Amino acid sequence: MSNQSDGTNSSRFVSRRSVLKGATALGVLGTFPAIITRRAYAQGAPTLVNSIRSLSNPYHATWNKGGAAFAQSVGAEYVTLVTEGNSEKGIADIRAILAKTGGNAVINVDPNDSPDARPIVEAAKQAGAYVVTQWNKPADLHPWDFDPNYVAHISFSGVPYGKAMGEALIKAMGGKGGIVALGGIESNVPAYERRAGLQQALDANPDVKLLDFQVANWSANEALEKTNAWLTQFGDQIGGIWAANDDMALAAVEALRADGRAGKVPVTGVDGIQLAVESVLKGEMAGTVAWDPFWQGGMGLAIGYAAKTGVFDPAKEGKEHREFYGTGVVITAENAQSFYDTNVKSEPQLDWTDIWGRASGQIQY
Amino acid sequence: MSNATAAAVTVKPRPFAGLQRLAGWAPLAVLVLLCILIAVINPNFLSFGNVVRISQSAMVPMVLGIGATLIILMGSVDLSVEGVLTLAAVLLSMLVLNGANANELGLFAVVIVLAVGAGVGCINGMINVYLKVPSFMATLGTWFIGVGVGNALLGGMAIRINDPLIRGLAIDRFLGFPWGVWVAVLCVIIALAIQNYTRLGRHIYALGGGEELAALSGISVAKVRIAAFTLAGVFYAVGGILASAQLGLGNAQIGSGRLFTTITAVVVGGTSLSGGRGGILQTVVGVLIVVVLTNGMVLVGVEPSVQIGVQGVMIITAVALSINRKLMKIVK
Repeated sequence: MSNQSDGTNSSRFVSRRSVLKGATALGVLGTFPAIITRRAYAQGAPTLVNSIRSLSNPYHATWNKGGAAFAQSVGAEYVTLVTEGNSEKGIADIRAILAKTGGNAVINVDPNDSPDARPIVEAAKQAGAYVVTQWNKPADLHPWDFDPNYVAHISFSGVPYGKAMGEALIKAMGGKGGIVALGGIESNVPAYERRAGLQQALDANPDVKLLDFQVANWSANEALEKTNAWLTQFGDQIGGIWAANDDMALAAVEALRADGRAGKVPVTGVDGIQLAVESVLKGEMAGTVAWDPFWQGGMGLAIGYAAKTGVFDPAKEGKEHREFYGTGVVITAENAQSFYDTNVKSEPQLDWTDIWGRASGQIQY
Repeated sequence: MSNATAAAVTVKPRPFAGLQRLAGWAPLAVLVLLCILIAVINPNFLSFGNVVRISQSAMVPMVLGIGATLIILMGSVDLSVEGVLTLAAVLLSMLVLNGANANELGLFAVVIVLAVGAGVGCINGMINVYLKVPSFMATLGTWFIGVGVGNALLGGMAIRINDPLIRGLAIDRFLGFPWGVWVAVLCVIIALAIQNYTRLGRHIYALGGGEELAALSGISVAKVRIAAFTLAGVFYAVGGILASAQLGLGNAQIGSGRLFTTITAVVVGGTSLSGGRGGILQTVVGVLIVVVLTNGMVLVGVEPSVQIGVQGVMIITAVALSINRKLMKIVK
C-alpha cells in the first residue's frame, strides 16, 4: 500500500517537474526576441511615445496627430499608448515600452489620474528614459527632483480661460441678463478651475445673473437634458449659456435649436474642437478656447526629445521651464476664421524647435 | 387527505393575487406621484413646452428600452445597447449629407443603418445560441466591438450631420412634437403588437417563464432568441439615428452612459430581470420615470451633487414597490 502511494507520488512529482521544464524552455524562447529587439531599439533613435486616455475623443485624437507629426519631422519611431481610462493599464503599458526599448524612449504622458504620474516618472528614471507629463500630477512631484529624466510638466490653468469665456459670453449678451452654466465632473480640477474663472467674470459684471449651475459631467447627453429643463424653468430669462467644454456647449446649441433659439442665445465652450470652431463661425457659439492638443502631443515629445538629444540640459533649466502653464488660444467671432484656416483646414505647421514659445509662467500650487 | 392539500395549494395564492395586481401598478403610481410633486413645486412642469421637452428627452431611452425589454423578458441581458447605438450613429453621420465627406444617401442610409443594427443583434443571438456564450458576455463583447468600430471609422472625430431629413427628426414638428417623438411612439406600437399579437411575442414570454418547459412544448428556443436579439438590434439602431439627429452629429462617445439609463428604465418599470414578467408598457412607464426625474430635479432645484443619489433612491424604491416577494424564493 505505502509503496504504491510512493510510486504515484513520485510519478506525479516527475510530471510536475517536466511541466516546469517545459515552461522554462518556453520562457527562454520568449525572451530571445525580446533581447534582440531591445538591442535594435537601443542603438537607433529614441522611440517616441504618447500615452493618452483614448482615441475616441477629438481632443486626444488631435493630440495623437501632433505626436505623429513631430515623430515624422525627426524620423523617429512613434508609438501611441491608450489607457482607456484605466490607470493600471496606462502604467503597465509604459513599463512594457520602457522594457522593450531598453529605456531609449521619450514619453509624453497625460496621466489618467494624478497619482499615476509618480510610478510613471520613477519607472522612466530607472530605465533612463525621458518623460514629460501634462495636466495631471501630484502637487509635490517635481521634475527637478528627477533630473534629468523628468524633463517637464505642462498644464493649463482653467481659471483665466473660464473667465475669458465668461467675458466673451457677457459681451455677446450685451453686458446684462441671465446665464446658466454647465459644469464638468465635480471633483475634476479643470472643471473646478473653469467654474472659478466664470465666477470671477460674474463678480466683475453685477448686471449678469447666474440663474443656475448644473453638473453635466462633460457629457453631451446630460447637457442636452439639463438645457431642456432650463428652457422650461427660465424660458426667455436665459440670455446665455456657459459650458465647461465644447461637447456640452454643442449639445446646448442643439437644445436651443430644437426650441428655435439657436444663434439667438450665445453659448461658450472650452477645448476648441473643430465643430465648436465651426459653430463660432456660424454665430451659434460665442467662443471657445483651443488648448491646441496638436501642440501638446507634438511639443511634449519635442521637449523630451531635445533633452534626450542634448539640445538642453534639464538640470540647468529654470523652474519656469520645468513646471509651466501652456498658452491657450481664445477663439471668438473675431479670430475664428483665421484659426480655422491655419489649424483645421490644413494641418498646423509648428516650429518644433521653439520649445519654450508657449510657456507662460511657473505653475502655482 | 391528498385532495385536501391540493385544494389548499390552489387556494393559497388567492389572497395575494390582489396585492400582486397592485404591485404591478406601483411604477405608474410612482410616476404620477412624481409628476404631482414636481408640478406643485414648479407649475411650469406641466406646461405644454415642458411636456414636449420631456418627450424629446424620452425618445432615445424609449426605443432603447423597448429593445432591451424584449431581451430581459427572455431572462437574458443585452449590454450591446451602447455599441449598436454608437455604430448606428457613426455610420449614419458618414452616409447622409454631412460635413466630412461627399456621401448623400438620405433614406437609403437609414435602411443601411437599420440593417447593420439587425446584423449586430443577429450576431449577438447566434453567439448566444450556437457558441453557448451567456448573453451577458456575448453582448459585452459586441458592445466593445461596436464602439471600437465607431472609433476606428472616425478616428475620434465628430461628424456634423447636415441632412435636413435627419435633422428634421429633432427640429421639425407635427402636432407640436418633433418627428423623432412620433418615431418613438411608432416603435412602441410596433413592439406592443409584436409582444401581444405574434407568436414571437408569446414565445419570448415562454422562454422567460422557463426555457426548458418552452423547449419541451415545441418552441424553437434558438430561433426565438436570435429573432429577439435581431429585433432589439434594430431598435438600438433607431435609437442611434434619433440620438445623432438630436445632437446633430455622430461620434464614438454618443452612446456613453446610455446602457445604464436603459436597464434602469426597464427594471424600474417593473420588468423582472429574471425574465417572464413585465413588458413594453411597463418600460414606457419606467423610461418616463427616469426622464421626468432628471427633468424635475433641475426644475425643483435639487443640488447637482445630490441628484445622482436621488436617482439611486428612486431606483430602489420603484423596484422594491413592484417586486412580488411571494413569488421569489431566492434573491441573488
